[in-house]
Amino acid sequence: FEMECRVLSIQSHVVRGYVGNKSASFPLQVLGFEVDSINSVQFSNHTGYAHWKGQVLTAEELNVLYDGIKLNNVHHYDYVLTGYTRDTSFLETVVDIVQELKRMNPKLVYVCDPVMGDQGSMYVPENILPVYRDKVVAVCLVGYIGLHLFHLMVLMIMLMVSLLFQVMDLLHQMGPDTVVLTSTDLPSPRGDQFLVALGSQKIVRPDGTKSTQKIRMDMPKVDAVFVGTGDLFAAMLLAWTHLHPNDLKAACEKTISVMHHVIKRTMTYANEMAGQGKRPNPAQLELRMVQSKKDIEDPAIVVEATVL
Amino acid sequence: MHEMECRVLSIQSHVVRGYVGNKSASFPLQVLGFEVDSINSVQFSNHTGYSHWKGQVLTADELHVLYEGIKLNNVHHYDYVLTGYTRDTSFLEMVVDIIQELKRANPNLVYVCDPVLGDHGSMYVPQNLHPVYKNKVVPVADIITPNQFEAELLTGKNISTEKDAVEVMDLLHKMGPDTVVITSSDLPSRLGDRFLVSLGSQRTMMPDGTKSTQRVRMEIPKVDAVFVGTGDLFAAMLLAWTHHYPNDLKTACEKTFSVMHHVIQRTISYAHELAGPGRRPSPPQLELRMVQSKADIEDPAIVMEATVLTL
Repeated sequence: FEMECRVLSIQSHVVRGYVGNKSASFPLQVLGFEVDSINSVQFSNHTGYAHWKGQVLTAEELNVLYDGIKLNNVHHYDYVLTGYTRDTSFLETVVDIVQELKRMNPKLVYVCDPVMGDQGSMYVPENILPVYRDKVVAVCLVGYIGLHLFHLMVLMIMLMVSLLFQVMDLLHQMGPDTVVLTSTDLPSPRGDQFLVALGSQKIVRPDGTKSTQKIRMDMPKVDAVFVGTGDLFAAMLLAWTHLHPNDLKAACEKTISVMHHVIKRTMTYANEMAGQGKRPNPAQLELRMVQSKKDIEDPAIVVEATVL
Repeated sequence: MHEMECRVLSIQSHVVRGYVGNKSASFPLQVLGFEVDSINSVQFSNHTGYSHWKGQVLTADELHVLYEGIKLNNVHHYDYVLTGYTRDTSFLEMVVDIIQELKRANPNLVYVCDPVLGDHGSMYVPQNLHPVYKNKVVPVADIITPNQFEAELLTGKNISTEKDAVEVMDLLHKMGPDTVVITSSDLPSRLGDRFLVSLGSQRTMMPDGTKSTQRVRMEIPKVDAVFVGTGDLFAAMLLAWTHHYPNDLKTACEKTFSVMHHVIQRTISYAHELAGPGRRPSPPQLELRMVQSKADIEDPAIVMEATVLTL
């Protein structure tokens, strides 16, 4: 019995390396998902290298591609997945497309990594924020949001778990039934080598009542800057929430575990390539994606989520 | 376990939906452990066999810009280059320039080229591509996968018998590639008219400096459907299996044709299920069942035997 599940992923393409669609497609395909991919840009490599060159897709060109799909009457998707976008008109076109696809399939799940920034600063143009806040998040069914977004959206300064959950409830009210804070600055009970992630999912119990499952995970920090891990995370959360609906604990454990295996393999390789005592460069730090196929297919669980 | 370190640069089309070009080549190569860098020569909604298709093409200049990015980072080191369907002569010429430079960076680089020109007696790319393939592309290729029409066009010689095919493959070797596979032909099969004949030829250098040629022949079951993307999958899988069996074209071909068989069979079954009894499946229904064929791609059960020709 084959899984029939089709994802439309609208993300960057890099010739070399694993970010955007390059990071999301292979693992989803390995897990049996059909992945249709619209490449929002084509760059030689990600922008963390010394040099990068390439071309971007305009909102108009995105429309043209979607039009082709629609004209053939094959615009039926179970999921849409988006990530890093720099352009407001592009993002607005994405929203229009998602709304139309939701009319075609009301059960469509839009998985959105609303990439805006991290560690207190934005790394997309400021005018992107209102588009996410007012348009994108409303159509998200699943949203993954870095801590910084909360600072901008709700102007909160204090970092307490209960406050964060109040904020996640606000996000639920805006649209998404599932919210995962991929990383926070909360102190971990396991020490400063760990960071805390939080998740919240609105579920319907067997008796029909509504409830929210809240979880917390402590994840080991890594001493390196990776690119593409957020894209992999969003793709794998899509996969594991699909395979474990109504069980955010299991979905997050699998997702974080996959990340762990891929990152660990990558670090080992990168350090080997760089040599003793040298910091690996961006090329050496590209995710060991194809080498991690087995971990992607069947991740050994290495982190336990606590249900709160 | 020792990990394979093998990097392929694939310059082919991208379609949003379906499996042609880079969409057909990347996943199977990645599943087999190859690192695949991909330059998308076009981005279309779907292949051009559907009722409608829309999208954008990459110019030769834009291709050069992308390559420049790779080069500036000093990561232009590849073990293989893979190309397929191209419609533009200046694009093709830029591809040749890039390959020549990559070969200077790595003299062991293997260029796998599907010289897509046409089939069944007519060209389906612009005529002016023919001299570019003949004079510039094929001479720098190491492995080529022409069909009968393309093999005849490139050499100027017709194939009516197996002997003709062997002569044409020898002519192609003289032009450059040490490995030639004629993916399909009209030659009569010894298994009857439900089969077509494929032939392969591989030239290797012996320790004493002389050249030896292994020639193989395969009888391939015909399928009653028009598939798109199978040629791209074939070239990618021939890359993979000649990599694992570098001096054994017989085994490389058996694996490659067997993978094709499994993917196509699965696709036909599914397409007929979707279309319903007595109806011809549509192009969307005939898209290759690629992700569903992962296990067959990883470890294809051998379903046909290549005969080694002794001449």
